[in-house]
Amino acid sequence: MTAVFKTFQKNTGSIATFSLPPGMSYPVQIPAGVTLQTSSGHLYKVNVPVMVTQAPGGASRILSQPVQHVIEAREPTAAQRAVAPSVLHTAAPQAPAGPCLHPPEVQQQHVFLSQCALPRPTAPPPPLIPQAPVSPGDDQFTLEGIEFSPRLLDTGLPSSFPAQLSDFQAKTGQMPASGSEVGVQGETKGDVGALAERADNARPEDPAKREAGLSCDYNHNVLEDIVQLDGACGGSSDEGEGGEEEEADGVTENEFLGMINAEALRALQEGEGSTGGGSSDSSDAADEFAEEEDPLNSGDDVSEQDIPDLFDTDNVVVCQYDKIHRSKNRWKFYLKDGVMCFAGKDYVFSKAVGEAEW
Amino acid sequence: MEPNNDVALDIIITNVVAVFKTRCHLNLRTIALEGTNVIYKPEFGKVLMKLRKPRITASIWSSGKIICTGATSEEDAKLGARRLARCLQKLGFKVRFTDFKVVNVLAVCSMPFQIHLIEFTKSNRPIASYEPELHPAATYRIKSLKATVQVFSTGSITVTGPNVQSVATAVEQIYPLLFECRKTPR
Repeated sequence: MTAVFKTFQKNTGSIATFSLPPGMSYPVQIPAGVTLQTSSGHLYKVNVPVMVTQAPGGASRILSQPVQHVIEAREPTAAQRAVAPSVLHTAAPQAPAGPCLHPPEVQQQHVFLSQCALPRPTAPPPPLIPQAPVSPGDDQFTLEGIEFSPRLLDTGLPSSFPAQLSDFQAKTGQMPASGSEVGVQGETKGDVGALAERADNARPEDPAKREAGLSCDYNHNVLEDIVQLDGACGGSSDEGEGGEEEEADGVTENEFLGMINAEALRALQEGEGSTGGGSSDSSDAADEFAEEEDPLNSGDDVSEQDIPDLFDTDNVVVCQYDKIHRSKNRWKFYLKDGVMCFAGKDYVFSKAVGEAEW
Repeated sequence: MEPNNDVALDIIITNVVAVFKTRCHLNLRTIALEGTNVIYKPEFGKVLMKLRKPRITASIWSSGKIICTGATSEEDAKLGARRLARCLQKLGFKVRFTDFKVVNVLAVCSMPFQIHLIEFTKSNRPIASYEPELHPAATYRIKSLKATVQVFSTGSITVTGPNVQSVATAVEQIYPLLFECRKTPR
């Protein structure tokens, strides 16, 4: 199976495969928004309704494997587990419509959504049963013969996951809160039980993990050391900060907005030696110019003190701009979605307005 | 030149426009990213660089042509232009300060009397033109100096010319003409 699995994977690298429940006849319509999982483990959410038809010869290959193998091969990832309920949920409504499982008839061709099997008291054929445990973690859904441009679903699942899960559970009604479907199936198969356990363990974790928010964790890890303050309700504090900053730094801040890239660019371009070449050239240029016009020398220098000061500042605003306006030497800044580092503290704002005179 | 009358007119130069060439291609993007006090206008294909010391604004094109505006005297314009070229040189461009030329000088002057524009235009028929519907000032073009004087009924005049000397001469020339058409002493 593993071997077959690999083959399967190879063949359908870019095509998402959806396995229909046994007994369901092609073509099957999958409503929009169903999250599917490919053999390669990627999740796809199709925003358009999809029609599933049977591929000429592909089905049999996939389905001959006992589900358990497939299950094992698919390491239940959080995403995968999330997928299962949503897909199952979709399939479940269809169950009442037609027999989800026709155990005897079902052709192993349908690696099925275990959940579908559950409502039925009749035990599904053994090979198919294990799919139930798969459900939480792993689903083999093969959209046979259908190609669509998949879009990887990143973190859209978490929100749907618990909802789907609860829906599903409510529907089946047979299962205990978590992983019950697995348990039911587990009765029939020992290995299923093992998988069920895994799924069980995985499942409670997922929502928690998901809902904690990957982003929250991420922020915490990366930005532990920096004191971050969110903007107050009104714009007053922001404007005050911006105003103070504007006055304190004056030129430096509005210059800095442009300069922040300049520094990076300069660092990158250091290798080019353009600035190095320039400095060496200036002395040469001085000699050259004597013939034509007065050479440009240090007598023509704009005051040097400003420049180091501009870059010494630690007060930085990184943001997006709505509008930057200038009238003669009066500048107005309408900024949004940014972070200000001012006096060692970080201030986060969704809107900032600033005025400055150059 | 001494004014004809004993009245000393204050000719105030408000703007001097000068051009010069750097004789080298300038990468506007580099100037925009690395230069100080710059405004990049990609839609016009130029970079504005403002200087504080002589308060000037320069439009920089990638061809190396630079127009320097906002100076209050010819010397200031040249000084500002040189400082600008020095800035560009520091950014790494092989800048040469060549072909510096003051192209326009704008000055204002105020007469101690008001002027009857229609009378003024009538007496200076071909040289002066006055279209009150278009512009409230009468335009007097001195071909020899290549200067243009705009005369307002309040007695204020603006003079534009290729250099400061021509502007001063233009004021001298036009004063007697205006004096003849004065309305009432202020």
